[in-house]
Amino acid sequence: MKAFKVALDNNIAILVFLLVWEFMSRIGLFNAMFIPPFSAVLVTTWDLMVSGHLAQDILISLMRAITGFLVAAIVAIPLGFLLGGWFKNTQLALEPLFEMAAQANPFILFHVIILFLGIGEATKITIIAWICIWPILFNTASGIRNVDAVLLKSALSFGLGKWAIFYKIVLPAAAPAIFTGFRLSAGYSFFLLIVAEMMGSNSGLGWFVLYSQENYNIQWIFSGAMLIGVLGLSIDLLIQYIEKKVIVWEVEERVE
Amino acid sequence: MKIVFNKFRGVIIRSSGLVAFLALWEIAPRWGWADPQFLPPLSSVLKAAAVLWDDGFLYTHIIVSLWRALLGTLLAMVIALPLGFILEGWFPSGSRRLDPLFRLLSHLNPFSLAPVFMLFFGIGELEKLAIITLVAVWPVLFHTITGIRTVDPLIIKTAYSLNVSKLILIWDVLLPGALPTIITGLRVGTQMAVFMLIAAEMLGASAGLGWLVHNSAMLYQVPRMYAGGLSIIVLGICINQIILRIERNSLFWKDSIEFLGQTNRRAVNFTNSLYVPILIGVIVGILFFGGQEVNRVNSQGLYNKDNMSQHNHPIKVE
Repeated sequence: MKAFKVALDNNIAILVFLLVWEFMSRIGLFNAMFIPPFSAVLVTTWDLMVSGHLAQDILISLMRAITGFLVAAIVAIPLGFLLGGWFKNTQLALEPLFEMAAQANPFILFHVIILFLGIGEATKITIIAWICIWPILFNTASGIRNVDAVLLKSALSFGLGKWAIFYKIVLPAAAPAIFTGFRLSAGYSFFLLIVAEMMGSNSGLGWFVLYSQENYNIQWIFSGAMLIGVLGLSIDLLIQYIEKKVIVWEVEERVE
Repeated sequence: MKIVFNKFRGVIIRSSGLVAFLALWEIAPRWGWADPQFLPPLSSVLKAAAVLWDDGFLYTHIIVSLWRALLGTLLAMVIALPLGFILEGWFPSGSRRLDPLFRLLSHLNPFSLAPVFMLFFGIGELEKLAIITLVAVWPVLFHTITGIRTVDPLIIKTAYSLNVSKLILIWDVLLPGALPTIITGLRVGTQMAVFMLIAAEMLGASAGLGWLVHNSAMLYQVPRMYAGGLSIIVLGICINQIILRIERNSLFWKDSIEFLGQTNRRAVNFTNSLYVPILIGVIVGILFFGGQEVNRVNSQGLYNKDNMSQHNHPIKVE
């Protein structure tokens, strides 16, 4: 009961928002044709889920997002360590290049990648990986650069070797920053996936929304948009949860 | 010779990565490592950019895009900053309760709701501005709230014990305390705005860098497409650097602790320097000239300019 109360208190704003939305379209303040009431959207979503097509689209979208994200993590974390300052000259040489590359807008890249890879799965995953790389890369680098100097000095004075320092001190100390990068990237990946699927695809949530848009099925648009938002939020919460489980040594600083 | 080298050593190393990349771009298509049709050498991309600039189109595209991005970001600021301060200053518990809702709303993708935006805002400038603002508002709002929450409570208590009014507390204590975080939020917001701007221009526009790239891609004008892409990158870097600079200078009272790099400690107070007037001048200039160009483009179309040269520009294709 108490847990329920806390949950209610935390989510009161969302509840009020949904109630207002429902109420407004029911009494006709919004045109229900353009903004259908929340309950209608829920019913539509349920019907779509039961029919099985939407579930498949969600799975496909999630698979793409996760693949792109993993590729990005595999590429970006080692590069981030490289940029973190252990090889000073490499870092200096690569930094401007990466800064430029990070500004390369994925929508523009889309046209370039299509030239080389066509419009298959590889294009979508490349786009997602591209957008995911930069937050992870820069956060890893800055996490390593900002490792507490006292920790490093005491490790040195204990005579630890380079490897031992790396994964007893640097890696744990940089982990929170890396996770921040993960969260940013996961958000971007989902955001972009939808766009990538809209631009050339015949499956996935983005395609579903585009299909609904082309047919002006407003209820489907809303259920698609709602699902995308909820999925994006759940991914964010999931990563936060993993972060809390993995990083047990970080003391949370909270000022009320 | 050696002295000269040592003097410019930092510069040489810093630019080596970029130079190598650009050289590779020039060489690869020329020596057949990449298909020049898909990846034209850098020189022909630059030539395409120069032709565009000569005809005055590149300027139009850039200023129109800048205008949209700037106005969208300014709108986002106008909405998010007061909202953040009001929520945190007067209704802290309400702000905590609104947090989940804001998080949920920030995950709404304007693309998935594009038809709804069209229904409400039409397909003119207003729709693009609405999309950009919607995307840029969240980072600014979240950073403002975080910034205010992480102001040293000791300072706030001191201010309270001096019996200052709420407005003075906000203006003299909370605003400077939260400023670095707010500027970080602005940087993220601007990035998101530029990012979405390109997408919004691809969806439906008659000018702008996003439109330029999209249009060139649709017409297989590959060098022009790369030229557009390059200008977007350069623009993005410039904006980013400017805001980073302001960010660093607004942190003047904080020591940054960097172990492997040297510490950046600056004793410059940017409110006293020429920054603010120059920045305001640039913003007003972009708003003014950009507004003119946007008006012209929207009322007459891009290609009705008197001094235009038709030779290598295809007719506008929607």
